[in-house]
Amino acid sequence: MAVKPKKPARPKMNLAGLKRARLYLGHYPRIMVVAYGSLILATLAQLVVPTLVRNIIDTVTNGVIAQKILSAPAAFQPQIEKALNYSHQQVMDYGTDTSSKLIIASLLMVGFAVIKGIFTFLQNYNGERLSQSVAYDLRNDLFAKIQRLSFSYHDKNQTGQLMIRATDDVEKVRLFLGQGLIMTVSAIVLLVGALIILFVTNFALTLVVLPILPIAMVVFFIFGAVSQPLFFKVQVKLSALNTILQENMAGIKVVKAFSREQDQQVKFEQAATDLVKQQLMISRVFTFLFPLIFLISNLGQAVVLYAGGAQIINATLTLGEWQQFSLYLAFIFFPMAQLGMIITQMAQASASANRIFEILDAQSDVVDKPGAQSIPAIVGHVEFKNVSFSYPGSTTPVLSNVSFEAKPGQTVALLGATGSGKTSIINLVPRFYDPTQGQVLIDGHDLRDLTIDSLRRQIGIVLQETNLFTGTIRDNIAFGRTNATQAQVEAAAKAAAAHDFIITFPQGYDTSVGELGSTLSGGQKQRIAIARALLLDPRILILDDSTSSVDLVTEYKIQKALDQLMLNRTSLVIAQRISTVLNADLILVLEKGSIVARGTHEELMEESEIYAQIYQSQLVEDVNLDHEAATAMIGQEA
Amino acid sequence: MFGNPGMLLNRETSKPKKTSETLRRFGGYFKPYWFILLIAAGLIVFSTWTQVLAPDLTGQAVDCYLTPAVSGTSGQAGIAIPGQATSITSSNCWYDANAATLSTSDRVGGLLGLVLRLAGLFVLGSLATGLTFLAMAWAGQNVLKNIRVALFKHLQRLSLGYYSRHEVGDLMSRITNDSETIQQAISFALINVVSGILLIVWVGYNMLTKDLPYAIVSLIVLPFMLIVTSWFSGQARKAFRRSRIQMGNVNAELQQSITGVREVQAFNREDENIEAFKTTNASNRDANIKAVAWTSALGPTLEALGYVSIALVVGVGGIFMLNNGSLFGTTISLGLVITFLAYVQRLNMPIQQIGMLWATIQSAIAGAERIFGLLDEKPDIEDKPNALKLPAIKGEVVFNNVWAEYKKDEPVLRGVNFEAKAGQTIAIVGPTGAGKTTIINLIPRFYDVSGGSVTIDGHDVRDVTGSSLREQIGIVLQDSFLFSDTVMNNIRFGRPDASDEEVIAAAKLARADTLIERLPDKYKTVLGERGRGLSQGQRQLIAIARAALVDPRILILDEATSSVDTRTERLIQAALEKLLEGRTSFVVAHRLSTIKHADQILVLKDGGIVEQGTFQELLAVKGHFYDLYMSQFRRQEQGAETTVGATIGAGAVGEIAG
Repeated sequence: MAVKPKKPARPKMNLAGLKRARLYLGHYPRIMVVAYGSLILATLAQLVVPTLVRNIIDTVTNGVIAQKILSAPAAFQPQIEKALNYSHQQVMDYGTDTSSKLIIASLLMVGFAVIKGIFTFLQNYNGERLSQSVAYDLRNDLFAKIQRLSFSYHDKNQTGQLMIRATDDVEKVRLFLGQGLIMTVSAIVLLVGALIILFVTNFALTLVVLPILPIAMVVFFIFGAVSQPLFFKVQVKLSALNTILQENMAGIKVVKAFSREQDQQVKFEQAATDLVKQQLMISRVFTFLFPLIFLISNLGQAVVLYAGGAQIINATLTLGEWQQFSLYLAFIFFPMAQLGMIITQMAQASASANRIFEILDAQSDVVDKPGAQSIPAIVGHVEFKNVSFSYPGSTTPVLSNVSFEAKPGQTVALLGATGSGKTSIINLVPRFYDPTQGQVLIDGHDLRDLTIDSLRRQIGIVLQETNLFTGTIRDNIAFGRTNATQAQVEAAAKAAAAHDFIITFPQGYDTSVGELGSTLSGGQKQRIAIARALLLDPRILILDDSTSSVDLVTEYKIQKALDQLMLNRTSLVIAQRISTVLNADLILVLEKGSIVARGTHEELMEESEIYAQIYQSQLVEDVNLDHEAATAMIGQEA
Repeated sequence: MFGNPGMLLNRETSKPKKTSETLRRFGGYFKPYWFILLIAAGLIVFSTWTQVLAPDLTGQAVDCYLTPAVSGTSGQAGIAIPGQATSITSSNCWYDANAATLSTSDRVGGLLGLVLRLAGLFVLGSLATGLTFLAMAWAGQNVLKNIRVALFKHLQRLSLGYYSRHEVGDLMSRITNDSETIQQAISFALINVVSGILLIVWVGYNMLTKDLPYAIVSLIVLPFMLIVTSWFSGQARKAFRRSRIQMGNVNAELQQSITGVREVQAFNREDENIEAFKTTNASNRDANIKAVAWTSALGPTLEALGYVSIALVVGVGGIFMLNNGSLFGTTISLGLVITFLAYVQRLNMPIQQIGMLWATIQSAIAGAERIFGLLDEKPDIEDKPNALKLPAIKGEVVFNNVWAEYKKDEPVLRGVNFEAKAGQTIAIVGPTGAGKTTIINLIPRFYDVSGGSVTIDGHDVRDVTGSSLREQIGIVLQDSFLFSDTVMNNIRFGRPDASDEEVIAAAKLARADTLIERLPDKYKTVLGERGRGLSQGQRQLIAIARAALVDPRILILDEATSSVDTRTERLIQAALEKLLEGRTSFVVAHRLSTIKHADQILVLKDGGIVEQGTFQELLAVKGHFYDLYMSQFRRQEQGAETTVGATIGAGAVGEIAG
């Protein structure tokens, strides 16, 4: 796969797509309940921990003091108790079994920490499972949609773009639904919970730190808002740099041929410098903002140290309570920083979600209509009735008022310059597109009344450019008929003059196409495509009889295979060869989307000047003379 | 700190092989920036110092100002208890010598002073951290730029042979990925790891010197954290490696099914494909979920261990304090407990980070190693040390017993001899693989001969500088490469100083002007990547204009075999005729007209010239050329001398639709 420098799209906040993507979570209610249930439990456990810390510290402080009091001479004890605001009962309580109390308090905290850990794990793990499952669903839906969208859609959309939708965009949405959303919920629960506890436990101290919160909020959100466009700009510069690099490697021959290395180096260095400048812009912003985030949270703690310390000195706060308070305060700053990050993630995810749904919402131009009938075994009668056609989204007619009829078994040859409408005619027969006006009939059925499946199953197609798919050679020949036997596959390959070269491969028919890579020549691919079509044994055949640039002997073989293929089938052929035209039952001469002449070769030679001209100038005399091919073959072997 | 620490693990990581050598070389790039690095190092030490000092100050706040308060009496520190020399709690106050005698309000005042100092420390520390990032970014980005530029220059020096052995796509993804990992390592991983290690060591040292036994107890969890981190990360990386393979399968299947969608639909394979994809997709999902189990567990485990260390610090510290505040002779105060508490909390983050970032740094070193490997690639073709500048040439080209090979001992040319006089047109014909392209590649010295010599006006091409040679040769390739730039700049490519008028004149000569005039922004139209948006024929017209502008003495031309629409084909032909006039031209010929008008035809077979002569001479011989003519060229004989190949399928549909 060629690596193209990515063009980053600047995300805009339009949450419609994300809202819809969220519905996919509903496919997995159990995982979702476990994930969010664990989240709530983990957060609650987390909220208990500072109180437990306070509990330990206070146990220590009180225990130490009580011990000291108890170790003082009995006469002094009441005086000290009074001075320290302890009752004798309290001192007795604090002073006895302090060590075991402390151990219990510590174990309690460890216990809660473990509980918190377990539920956090369950939250993380199930969140990821949830997001992977959603990604799985989204990707399946995208794949199915892309496979079914009609040709007109694929004409307009490039493979690379669609790939990015199904990979990068799905990943971004997944990240948000898996981590982002859970992080948001847990951040909010933690934030609100901690704030409530702070207010309840120490209202006065909370009021002291409260003014810092909006400042922190603003800084975090500025951080999110400022960094995002900067990263976007870096992406732009980086892709500019990569484009230069890519072009200079792909076009190295041109660069060298014109001796332009120096210029290109200057250009590259300029782009690299631009990139550095942009990167340093980010660094400058981060230099300021990133430490600021930590500074604010640290200053918050400093304020608590002072205000809380003053309370301790005035004996209205214990040391444990102070530690508890500062831990809860950390629970407030932490989620706020998280939310700032999530905003950025959300913006990207929403843009991605919108792009995904653009595909999922795309309307296929060609669909089964309700109540479409499955076509019975085709006899092979093809008729165009006043067909006009323009490509979807275009008003320029490509075909105007085309009518013709092919009887079962006949060969119809299509002739004309590029753009005359030949391809459009053959695209209408398997209903890759629908005519804008008129009807295409097979055995008297309007194609639009039939199910697409039943129709295409009975039509064979050989294009000049052949795509092979991962799998073995055999899989590729059996592409349209997966249950074919080995004997049937071989028979088709033999008829297509492909058998001979297939058996030269290390594993014959079981050789994987991927392993062969680009070693398969255009001619070989073409013959596999012919075998593929032959195996279907279709009643109607559509083909391009041109051969790729191959050597003489191969060309001869391919032509023979094609002739074999056309035998006894209704064939629509984009004709390049004289023999096809000579043997055709009907020749259609197209010009600018209209049939300008029709008939057999003899008739047309008589009547049509255009035909004579095309015959002279465009058709290729095939190597149909056996002796000539034989000579060539001998020549080659010699 | 932000989110799941396992997130960082889901990346391609690889291990370097020659770490020390790579680091030394990488370090070499940093040399010009040593001063910046020195400053950065100083800043790191300073900011770490503030981080180490802060918990100490907090502890002092407790010991000096807060603890005596438990005595509850104002104006007097602690309560004098008969038989005991000190106040009721043990204290380690060194911050304020007079703390023991302060009044309540004085203590609040003293606390304020300490908090202000602490705040000042925080501000300075943050500032230092920020400046460290800036300094490192500055040095690091410049280093990366220098490496990139060096790499780019080197890539340009590599010969075409190198590019024929390596896929540009692979090279490209390697270079971009490797620079990306280096970029990540130097922009944050390095600083975080360095300052993290410094912090751990410093804090550890501080704790150990303050109270050795207490410190050992408090830090006992630390090694477990390190082990857990490295083990979990290792497991996660392995699992992610598996999941990446699955992702690769998903991508391959997607790519194929989208590219071949027309065939899928034509053969009714949608349902089967969708089912097959679901299976692949599910394997990918399951592999990911498995991998994620590890990363999901890492964060909570470290967090739980962190709480265990808190419990140890407070619990064990408390027990020691209850034992008369001493442990093996050292005194534990409440302030010390608070200080240690703050220390172990501070250690959690760097430990988590180092575990994650270590892998990033390793990948970066491996990336640097690969980039240095590329830089070490020796160019096959370089100017000789004493290479001459080729003077203005007439255009006489002589092949003198030329042998050439792409792979050792597999010659593609076997002793080729011919002479092209200045101004002649030489047509080269023959089957695929006969060596036609090799001949034209040797003239501008894209490759070197393995035997014999190629001379231009008597100069061996190996004795002259590559640039002076190629500046006088124009080349039009079959699949013309255009840059994503304006049409104007694309034509100007070979002569950047040409005026707009000259460019337009060249375009007119190449018959490309009408085509360009029809483009949305005419000459200012920016072409897509590799000239996307233009047909192959149109691209070739622009490439002809590009060659025409250079006005070379020698012209090399690879005629297009593939089909081009009739009108463009005629334009190309007319343009070429104009261009060939008066120049020595070598044409890999597919058109009858070219062959007919050639001064010499070289018929190649299996790397040797089997026939040589003019069209009439060669036909008369009735040899190889005659056969070739009969089978390939005769079809062009009548009327138009072109084959119109209409391709159905993807390309044609798109073209018609567009």
